[in-house]
Amino acid sequence: MNVAPPKKLGELFFGFLWIGARSFGGVLPWAYRTMVEERRWITHADFTETIGLCQFLPGPNIGNASIVLGKRWFGLAGSVVAFLGLMALPFVWVLALFAVYNDFSANPLVKAIVTGVGAAGAGLFVGTAVKLGRALAKKPAALVLIAACFLCVAVARFSLVAVIPAGLLLAWLAARRDWL
Amino acid sequence: MTLVELALYFGLLSLISVGGMPSVMPEMQRFVVDVKGWLTPGEFLQAFAVGQAAPGPNVLIASLIGWKVAGIPGAVVALLAFCFPAAVLAWWVAELWDRFKDAPWRRTTQRAIAPIVVALILSGGFVIATPDSPDWRLWLIAGSSAAAMLLVNVNPLWMLAGGGILGALLL
Repeated sequence: MNVAPPKKLGELFFGFLWIGARSFGGVLPWAYRTMVEERRWITHADFTETIGLCQFLPGPNIGNASIVLGKRWFGLAGSVVAFLGLMALPFVWVLALFAVYNDFSANPLVKAIVTGVGAAGAGLFVGTAVKLGRALAKKPAALVLIAACFLCVAVARFSLVAVIPAGLLLAWLAARRDWL
Repeated sequence: MTLVELALYFGLLSLISVGGMPSVMPEMQRFVVDVKGWLTPGEFLQAFAVGQAAPGPNVLIASLIGWKVAGIPGAVVALLAFCFPAAVLAWWVAELWDRFKDAPWRRTTQRAIAPIVVALILSGGFVIATPDSPDWRLWLIAGSSAAAMLLVNVNPLWMLAGGGILGALLL
């Protein structure tokens, strides 16, 4: 399959704007459709590799992807343009939706529906964790780490500022011994 | 003053948010609700819900929290503070990461991060579904949506819609 990166900054901007504009239910599938299937900016393998890196880096995954790809194609200007294109419309959508919600939030039915949506969203996190965790299920050290980390963060409510460095250090030592 | 505090704290979270926004939801909730009292637990859950239901990256939840705390300037500051430090890091690391594709430490690091990310995302789900004291109805909705996600491969918006319906019936 022939792929060619965007030629102009404007093309990059509108590509990412288009991703952001229709990304109902998660950005990743739309980013894939736009960049790999429709506009053919990058290959499937390249996309997967880039997203893999961005999932590993701190920060919003798809936001980081816009920085990395923008830089690759147009340097600093590309990063800024891709990031702004991606965020512009969703930022307006979400504030508008929240403004509408705030007008109706005194209505108990609206409040119940939105709370239900929030709980379902929390469930999607749990589902994502299970999906990602399946690959680790056969490694006892990984399960111990997951359980310990969960207890520290979700139950004891320790600050992540302490838990993440400590957890990463332990995990790194375990990974070096091939326990992970 | 609040804006500065918000910027500094979200900037710090940006740098430790391995796995993205879901990983730092417990910490955001702890800070914004428990430590600062800027939002009630219920308001936090509802801001999260709106952020999930709207199209776009889920990082926009940060801007809704910022809005609640300090209006539109708060929304802009929170979003940029959460994105900028990580973006600078991504900008520098991307090439380095490619260059060390086959280095053993890179594989070690990747394997080390995986279980931490799983635990953080799981914690995010738990904390959001447990805003005050445990409520079986919220857990039932969250459990159903998790199960549906694992069993059928459809747009997650359907799970959110189902959650809204269950919310209307149960809550």
